[in-house]
Amino acid sequence: MRITQTMIAANTLKNINNNYTNMEKYQNQVSSGKKVTKPSDDPTAATTGMYYTSDLNSVDQYKKNVTSLQTWIQNSDAGMQQASSDLSRVRDLVIQGMNGSLNSDDLKTVAVEVQRINEDLANTANTQVAGKYLFHGTDVTNPPVTQNPDGTYSVNVNSSNYNFEVSNGVYIRANVIQGNSFNQQMFSTVSAIQNALQKNNTSALSGLLTNLDSVSNTLSAERSDLGARSNQVDLASNRLDQQETTATNGVSNSIDVDIESAVVNMTTQQYAYKAALGVGAQIIQPSLLDYLK
Amino acid sequence: MTSTFMGLEISKRGMAAQQTALSVTGQNVSNASTPGYTRQVVNLKATDAYPSPGMNAPAIAGQLGTGVAAGSIQRVRDNFLDVQYRTENSQLGYYQARSDSLSQMESIMNEPTDTGLSNAMDQFWQSLQDLSTSPTDSSALAVVRQRGASLADTFNYLSNSLSSIQSDEKGQITTTQNQINTDLKQLNDLNQAIGNIEASGNLPNDLYDQRDKLLDDLSSFVNIKVDFSGPTSGSPNPTAEGKATVSLVSDTGTNLGTLLDQNNYHQITVNYDGASYDGVNNSIKTISLDGAANPIDFSTMNSSGKLKSLIESYGYDNNGTATGTYTDMLSQLDNLAYTFATNFNAQQQAGKSPNQMNGTSSTVPPFFADANGAAITKAAGFASRIQVSPQIQNVSTGLGDIATAGANGTYGDNTNVLALANVIKENLPYGGSNSQPTDFQSYYQGVIGGLGVNSQEATQLASNSTTLQQSADQKRQSVSSVSIDEEMANMVQYQHAYSASAKMISVQNQVLDTIINGMGVGN
Repeated sequence: MRITQTMIAANTLKNINNNYTNMEKYQNQVSSGKKVTKPSDDPTAATTGMYYTSDLNSVDQYKKNVTSLQTWIQNSDAGMQQASSDLSRVRDLVIQGMNGSLNSDDLKTVAVEVQRINEDLANTANTQVAGKYLFHGTDVTNPPVTQNPDGTYSVNVNSSNYNFEVSNGVYIRANVIQGNSFNQQMFSTVSAIQNALQKNNTSALSGLLTNLDSVSNTLSAERSDLGARSNQVDLASNRLDQQETTATNGVSNSIDVDIESAVVNMTTQQYAYKAALGVGAQIIQPSLLDYLK
Repeated sequence: MTSTFMGLEISKRGMAAQQTALSVTGQNVSNASTPGYTRQVVNLKATDAYPSPGMNAPAIAGQLGTGVAAGSIQRVRDNFLDVQYRTENSQLGYYQARSDSLSQMESIMNEPTDTGLSNAMDQFWQSLQDLSTSPTDSSALAVVRQRGASLADTFNYLSNSLSSIQSDEKGQITTTQNQINTDLKQLNDLNQAIGNIEASGNLPNDLYDQRDKLLDDLSSFVNIKVDFSGPTSGSPNPTAEGKATVSLVSDTGTNLGTLLDQNNYHQITVNYDGASYDGVNNSIKTISLDGAANPIDFSTMNSSGKLKSLIESYGYDNNGTATGTYTDMLSQLDNLAYTFATNFNAQQQAGKSPNQMNGTSSTVPPFFADANGAAITKAAGFASRIQVSPQIQNVSTGLGDIATAGANGTYGDNTNVLALANVIKENLPYGGSNSQPTDFQSYYQGVIGGLGVNSQEATQLASNSTTLQQSADQKRQSVSSVSIDEEMANMVQYQHAYSASAKMISVQNQVLDTIINGMGVGN
């Protein structure tokens, strides 16, 4: 094939250009740390990268939800523990009242203690965390327990559930069931005990003791349920940690560049570029004119 | 006997012919780097020998050669290689334009990054989740409203940017159309000039070069077929190329119309007479050719080149619907925005808002609205108009209009917030009412994946076409371009021949001198 100077010049230029383009590509990879900056670089990697990025965002959010859930559960548990020990104390006082060793003045003193405990139960029931009432179902802006003018307490029961999402489509209830914990029966029973002790009505105490036991049992059962839910949340939290690792790896594998190989590629390409420049300079210069006298 | 001055005449012819050859060599060397220049060679032919047979032929040793003459000066060009080159050039024009157009679209969509639509949607979902853990918190409500506005802004930005590039493509189509028509006009002028010169028996080599260059340029816009028909009047040289006839052909070789004939050129006009793609602007349906009875239907045109690629990007009519690279992407965005917004609004209106619960209002307004707060009715162009509804945007009462509670819930219930967040993860028919339901992110990833594949393919094919075009050009250059070494060798050859002829004249001069001054009366 006949070769002319213009052909050689054009070819050299084309090859130098190609080398330069490749060099630019690798330099881009090294400086940005990514091997996929637009979908056409690698369409499958780009879509996989998008999928895992979205997944990672979801997992981060679920972890935040889990933290809120754990706060809610821990505070609920503290409140219920307090209520449990309060009711236990009331029980002791009732037994004391029932065994007939106290006179009516002593019984009045016991009644005052029961009154204090009732107040404590009301305050515990009205616990707020971050401005939200814990023990009022979904009605978190209003206190569940209000005091009547005659000293007894009225309880508004909200039986809706407060669900948090901890994983796609997986919801865990955050609140305790108010109907099984700080319900009207609890306060009515304690108020009635207070009243009976006040009025020296020891015969009513055994019936009230049964009620009190029933309330305590229901509270315990609800507290166990809370414990079980807390375990469930911990398991979800562990799963999310693992998911986070998987998603981060997924993103990295699709989009991030392997620095060592990118640097090697870039250096190799730089040598190739220099070689092309050197060779090009050598071959486009001489012609017959240099040799004719 | 031959005439006295025959020797002089022979050498004189020799010198003249070598001088012509040297001039042609000089011309080649001067134009060695002129783009599109084809090297010229001079055909040196021995002149007719003497004596020719006849009754009065002299009885001398015959036949005696009478010297040399420069016959014609011809270009060294292979027309078949030109055909190959122009075919590759039209493919390259097509894929280059397509690759550029898709690249621009990728830059606008800006995925996979954390500043695209995918991330905006993720952030909106995250804000709804944060709201679900404290639905009465006004700062969480404000964040939801803000993220919703960001999402709408992202849709608007993508749609508007794509539309503006689409208008740009329209400008490019007009420019290309004008370039084609300008080329055709210039070709026609050249045709006429060539015809005139050929009639006198000469070869207009420079005009041929100019014409070939214009034909190369034209081939990158549309696929053409060039035929040459020799001149019919005057006394043309048998190697004259003649006038060119250029036809517009499809990639399978079907003739679609004549762009340039022997006497005239026919302009093309791109017609925006197809189905509308956004209710305002029309797509392209036909291309008219001056002088042809019927316009060419674009969907059957199939003639590779920059024009076809630009029209495909912009939008053309395919059986009554507007389709095209930008048209399709815009309509996919519209469907995404429309389907999402209508379903989100439906869920919003299925819940109860704080304003309803405290008596400030009796109904729940939609979350997203069309331009100027109007209700959402149609999908076409919706992505550029989507916005958070003015009721939700209201500075004093807007936050209370976000339906957080379930239909039977109280203030503090988060059921509807969870349901709203779920709309983003729910399977909906984002591809249109008859499509397979899938969730937002999966559908969007599919759209971006499709874009990536098309763009990658276009880039690879553009690169392949470049290689093929360069290879065809190399073959052409191999035949037609000037080799300095070759010209120098020729120059030396002609120079020696010239010197030898000049020497011969000196010798003949001496011979004549001897005859005239040495013989005859007085010596």
